[in-house]
Amino acid sequence: MSRNKTKDLRRTMSRRGLLLGGGAVVLTSILGARLFQLQVAENNRYRRLSDRNQFDLRIVAPTRGRLFDREMRLLAGNAESFQLYITPLYVDDLQQTLAALGQIVDLTQKQIDEVFAAARKGPSFHDIIVRDDLSQRELARLAVRSPLLSGVSFGKSLRRIYPQGSLACHVTGYVSPITAREIVRNQALEKTPHLGTGKNGIELAHEQNLRGIPGRERIEVNAKGQPIRVLRDVGAISGKDLQLSIDVGLQLHSAEILRRGQLKPVEMGSADVQRALAKDDDLKAHIVLGDSLILRDEKDRLVPPESGAVVVMDIYSGEIISLVSAPMFDPNLFTGRLLTRDWRRLNAHPRKPLLNRVTAGQYAPGSTFKMVVGLAALETGVISSKTQFNCSGDMQLGNARFHCWRDEGHGVMNIISALEQSCDVFFYEVALKTGIRKIKNMAHRLGLGEVTGLGLPGEKQGIIPSHEWKLANLGKVWTPGETVVSSIGQGYVLATPLQLAVMTARIANGKHAVTPSLVKSPGDTPPAFAPLDVDPGALSIIRQGMFEVMKGGLGTARKYDLEASFGGMAGKTGTVQVKRITKAQREEGIVSNIDRPWAERDHALFVAYAPVKQPRYAISVVVEHGGSGSSTAAPVARDILTKLMQEQG
Amino acid sequence: MTGLKTLLRIPWHLLLLAGVLVLVGSLALYSASQGSWQPWAGRHAIRATIGMALVVGIAFVDFGFIRRMSYVFLATAILVLLAVMIIGTGQGVSRWISIGGVNFQPSEPTKIAVILALARYFGSQSHDRMHSFIWYLPAFVIIGIPFALIMKQPDLGTALMLLFGGLAVVFSAGLPWRYVLGSIAAVLAAVPLLWLQLHAYQKARVMTFFNPESDLLGAGYQITQSKIALGSGGVFGKGFLMGSQSQLNYLPEKQTDFVFTMIGEEFGFAGNIFILLIYLLLTIAILRISYRVKSRFAQLTCVGIGMMVFFYMFVNVAMVTGLLPVVGAPLPLISYGGTSMLTVFIGFGIVASAIVHDRRERTL
Repeated sequence: MSRNKTKDLRRTMSRRGLLLGGGAVVLTSILGARLFQLQVAENNRYRRLSDRNQFDLRIVAPTRGRLFDREMRLLAGNAESFQLYITPLYVDDLQQTLAALGQIVDLTQKQIDEVFAAARKGPSFHDIIVRDDLSQRELARLAVRSPLLSGVSFGKSLRRIYPQGSLACHVTGYVSPITAREIVRNQALEKTPHLGTGKNGIELAHEQNLRGIPGRERIEVNAKGQPIRVLRDVGAISGKDLQLSIDVGLQLHSAEILRRGQLKPVEMGSADVQRALAKDDDLKAHIVLGDSLILRDEKDRLVPPESGAVVVMDIYSGEIISLVSAPMFDPNLFTGRLLTRDWRRLNAHPRKPLLNRVTAGQYAPGSTFKMVVGLAALETGVISSKTQFNCSGDMQLGNARFHCWRDEGHGVMNIISALEQSCDVFFYEVALKTGIRKIKNMAHRLGLGEVTGLGLPGEKQGIIPSHEWKLANLGKVWTPGETVVSSIGQGYVLATPLQLAVMTARIANGKHAVTPSLVKSPGDTPPAFAPLDVDPGALSIIRQGMFEVMKGGLGTARKYDLEASFGGMAGKTGTVQVKRITKAQREEGIVSNIDRPWAERDHALFVAYAPVKQPRYAISVVVEHGGSGSSTAAPVARDILTKLMQEQG
Repeated sequence: MTGLKTLLRIPWHLLLLAGVLVLVGSLALYSASQGSWQPWAGRHAIRATIGMALVVGIAFVDFGFIRRMSYVFLATAILVLLAVMIIGTGQGVSRWISIGGVNFQPSEPTKIAVILALARYFGSQSHDRMHSFIWYLPAFVIIGIPFALIMKQPDLGTALMLLFGGLAVVFSAGLPWRYVLGSIAAVLAAVPLLWLQLHAYQKARVMTFFNPESDLLGAGYQITQSKIALGSGGVFGKGFLMGSQSQLNYLPEKQTDFVFTMIGEEFGFAGNIFILLIYLLLTIAILRISYRVKSRFAQLTCVGIGMMVFFYMFVNVAMVTGLLPVVGAPLPLISYGGTSMLTVFIGFGIVASAIVHDRRERTL
């Protein structure tokens, strides 16, 4: 081989070697550029991704503030509950993992379907609740086996419990899982989907204070989602406990008395009761609500418990001691996973257990409104305590004839005897002389026709009609006949049981325009209220009339006075016609309430305060379709006040 | 040649650069085990010490002997690869054989054997022959048989490095440009055929390479996590032992194929560039030696080994940065793994032997 050719080869090689070296430099530069792109140019993006990888940011739920009654008995508390979570991000095969979980804990097909649906919808790093309320047994089995299941975790959370069951349901309201609409309003809620929010009652009204402030916790997790360590950022701040003015003992008593009324409890176990239950949907519905109370009426028919409202109020502090709306429901139903079936039944139930009748039930006040008419007339000088009218059983006004409840009439009446016997004609005359404007004015000063300020959500303001009201709402001119009808609390007049209690409290108090509250005021100093500004003389005349209702020989509630040892009470009955008795029915002789269908019977109302000499408490009772205020509502009030006075010692 | 003269002629700068890489590797492995010399870092350092001693030892071996033995080495390597195929017991994958309890990956030293055999073949051909394609065919047999066997294991990464290293030798030997370009065209044409040879998981890896987001938790997981770890490292990194991605096991195989990623997370762009520069220096240093040695066999051997080390690094870094599909290729001297390190140090030993015993072949 020639030296030249060897040289050629060497040159070729050198050139090729140089090319390879140059190629190495170029390729290394490409790598360098790529690293620059990843590590310098796109650093921020990858840093974010890394943080999301590394830390599972969890919201630490604050402990929700508890609710107590006035004696610090628990109304709403928190119980430890264990939940099973699945984090789709760390799950290899959801189907398989759920199947494996099904071997460890009880899972229904519906729950499994829901997990799949949630996994499809949400981001894969969000926890999905597979099961709530794990039992101790399930927990023990999970503790052993869940470490083998990637993406499965379980954690402790607090579940709202209402140890008194349905007893204070309309006061406390309930907590239930956050809804999509709430998240739209408050984005922060999105991060704590397993936390409930107050949906009604005090739970909703005091949501901000009860809820507390969530903490943040960064849990360092590895690629399998197993926590390595917890880096706490901010601890949760518990919600504030709240002491309510409700007395659970009296509440229980009120509820029992209201619902039982004059009826007799029955033996649930007996065969004929069971047979009757199977036939009667209304009865069955009560069993479904968890309210197993079934009663017998005076004709020995099986009936559900009475529905209606009772509210007892301190006339000085405005504190509500008892607030019962029947039928009731168990708020514990809502705190876990509410079954659609239960929700539908509660919503569709003809007696509307979810409705708080005390604040949102609007009833014609009937004769309990007569104090308003009387006060307006007395204060403006239209009548005095001596003014008399003759009741012949009806009154003619133009073409219309207005009847008194007593066909044969009451004879000559003054304001006190008219209240005592609840004479309608007397108030027809007084109202025509006073005019609806002054009546309306008095009604407002006594707390009717406007929201009381109790603070429960959904409170209704009732209606105190007037010329303006009718023109605005019905587009028609007010007629004198409507003043006549209004004077006995019918027609357009509507009031809530709470408003009637407030009205009674103000009459009894005489000085202050007390407003009701459900929160126990600290210390013994009653809160400052605006002056009532109603003529004291007029008030004392009205109170005398209310006293005669119980004590007078012809008093409409004379049979149901509070024992003298408890100081007696002063009250006013009211019976509100729900459906006019037709001529045909009259001719058939069906005039007794009990012979009519339940929904057509009169509402029974009663308001009172006690003791008479030194008034302390006001009470208002509505028994829906209960018949007459005197026979049905008054004894309820009497029994409740008796219990209250016994406790006072 | 005296022992002292031999020692003085050993290319110590190669060992110095290798030492830097071994040190980086030991620190990275120390970090990979969350601050412990167990189980990787300590053994890595000990193996490297043995490896460097091996370099010095091989430097004393007569280069002529190595040349004479080169075909024997290749034949042995092929036989061992066949043996692996037969006695390998892995499920679908048989890369290792166990010798006295030590797992050994024969595909690694095969790369050296192929380079030596090619260097010997081209070193003994006359220049005239180098213009004719037919004289290149034996080279493709020398590369082709081990390549096919390693592909069969399957070990795409090692096979590719063997191919690149071998082709670098063929290219340096003076393969006419028309053949170079023709080969490139042929390789491109062979891609579909190659595709059919791939295992399903390999296909999946390649597919996800083009669209890693399509399968974030499957085949794309590794590369996605690797990019997050690298990218979140930034310019100077999160600090030694502070790489959250790697410390929290987001990074698979962080002690082997993804060690570069881990270094990148903890030492950042600066750390990674430093490593790239060391490799580049190492490659250029070996290419420079190939200039200085006189025999063609030595030249081609040095080019082959230099480029092998470079491709080792390139395939690995391109893989972890998402420029190439995940094929499974260690980072030489840094990744944990005895056979790979042994191969590199044997290569350095041969380079040392070449420069120590350099003389023009009298034959030809």
